[in-house]
Amino acid sequence: MLAKYGVPSDPDFNQRLAEFEARIERGEKIEPGDWMPEEYRRQLIRMISQHAHSEVVGMLPEGAWITRAPTLKRKMILVAKVQDEAGHGQYLYHAAETLGISRETMLEALLSGKAKYSSIFNYPTLTWADIGTIGWLVDGAAIKNQTMLAQCSYGPYSRAMVRICAEETFHHKQGKEMVLLYAKGTPKQRQMAQDAINRWWWPALMMMGPHDKDSPNTEVLVRWGIKTKTNDQVRQEFINEHAPEILEAGLTLPDPDLRYDEATGNWLHGPINWDEFWQVVKGNGPMNKERLEARRRAHAEGAWVREALEAYATRQTAVAV
Amino acid sequence: MDTQWPRWEVFKQDTPHKPHQAVGSVHAADPEHALLTARNVFARRPQAVSMWVARAEDIYAWTKEEIAQSQLLQAEHDRAYSPPSSPRKYLVFRKTSHKRSMTFVDHVGEVEARTPEEALAQAQTTFTDAEALAWWVVPADKVYQTDPSPDTIESWFAPAKDKTYKQQQFYATVGSHISKHKLGRGVEDDECC
Repeated sequence: MLAKYGVPSDPDFNQRLAEFEARIERGEKIEPGDWMPEEYRRQLIRMISQHAHSEVVGMLPEGAWITRAPTLKRKMILVAKVQDEAGHGQYLYHAAETLGISRETMLEALLSGKAKYSSIFNYPTLTWADIGTIGWLVDGAAIKNQTMLAQCSYGPYSRAMVRICAEETFHHKQGKEMVLLYAKGTPKQRQMAQDAINRWWWPALMMMGPHDKDSPNTEVLVRWGIKTKTNDQVRQEFINEHAPEILEAGLTLPDPDLRYDEATGNWLHGPINWDEFWQVVKGNGPMNKERLEARRRAHAEGAWVREALEAYATRQTAVAV
Repeated sequence: MDTQWPRWEVFKQDTPHKPHQAVGSVHAADPEHALLTARNVFARRPQAVSMWVARAEDIYAWTKEEIAQSQLLQAEHDRAYSPPSSPRKYLVFRKTSHKRSMTFVDHVGEVEARTPEEALAQAQTTFTDAEALAWWVVPADKVYQTDPSPDTIESWFAPAKDKTYKQQQFYATVGSHISKHKLGRGVEDDECC
């Protein structure tokens, strides 16, 4: 077991690791400054920075519809939601920084295309109904994951997740409310809602990541309480909640194999197209290029604001002295 | 290339009788910028009546584990031989629970000390009502706060209260009437809720 994570030169490593794992077993939170295996730190930096990037890039598909919201109420809701995603990115960058990586390093990794973010945001938002569907399905999937991560053994990540979950529930509910409304609307409204569900269902299922047997990180993440459930467990929870509700609303799901299993109480899904998932992860999704370009443009066009704030702060200091 | 602004830890007070609590951090060029950014990041929703910010490099932090390693006592011992500086006021923050929470250390009070290590030692003998899992001490003159005048509090924090559509309770009934939904009827977008 130990060899797999690499035994550092520290002669006390085995004892320290045993104490560390005992702390996690007791339900204690690991805090910045506490001893932790390098692999724990590495896995957390990887997960939290990817999560932060996802919040930041996640503003783009929805932000595109702010100017085209059909009513003032919907516009205010969407503005608030996109603003929340910006805030969630900030909470998460903060949590990652406590592990010793700088925010600048993380942003450079995002802008250079080196960093990964959730592949769901590389799909386009084609109609207004996509906004409701993203709230219901994409935020719904995210909440399942984040509720689990709120139990994380690393204090700063856990706290960011608790704060995010409290806000994210609004995202989920406003989306669900919108789709349910369109589902009982005119034939055109129903058709729009159905079309959006058809396009977002499978990418939403892929959000939880590869099946457990293909997820090499899962074992150590669960062992150290970073995750308390596996990808497949979280995916099953999501389907069990959302499939019956969507069907009950008079909509259909684009999975001919989907069925309720009496024995387990689970909704069983058909095969997921993982080739598509890996293509999008590798940068070949419909919107990968546009998303990255939008982030780079926003960063470049914001340069004068950063310079102005810097100049102002410098002058204030000069005046004070 | 290190061009990022300094990092500031943010403390938010929810109501006048609650302590300021560490909620996270922001990057900013100066204290005023830090407070504005802190408001945008951490007070988009109720409740808040006051915020503090302090540069991360001005905060001295110890976990229970670090204190147990007793390196600190040695450092304090070594320091005793250097000429004492005059005492200054430190704000003391403490975490006491592993329970699920969105905040870290709470403000518990102040101590007068010559060094951060001395401030910690004083905090440990002063605030003994609960076991400390982590301590932060910050020189009081390094902490910047929002303007405490009622007008400023109102303009900074009241807007979050009126935006009830950001609260999940606003959508509390969603999903409870699916079976009653009638198909084939055109609906106005604003009809629901």
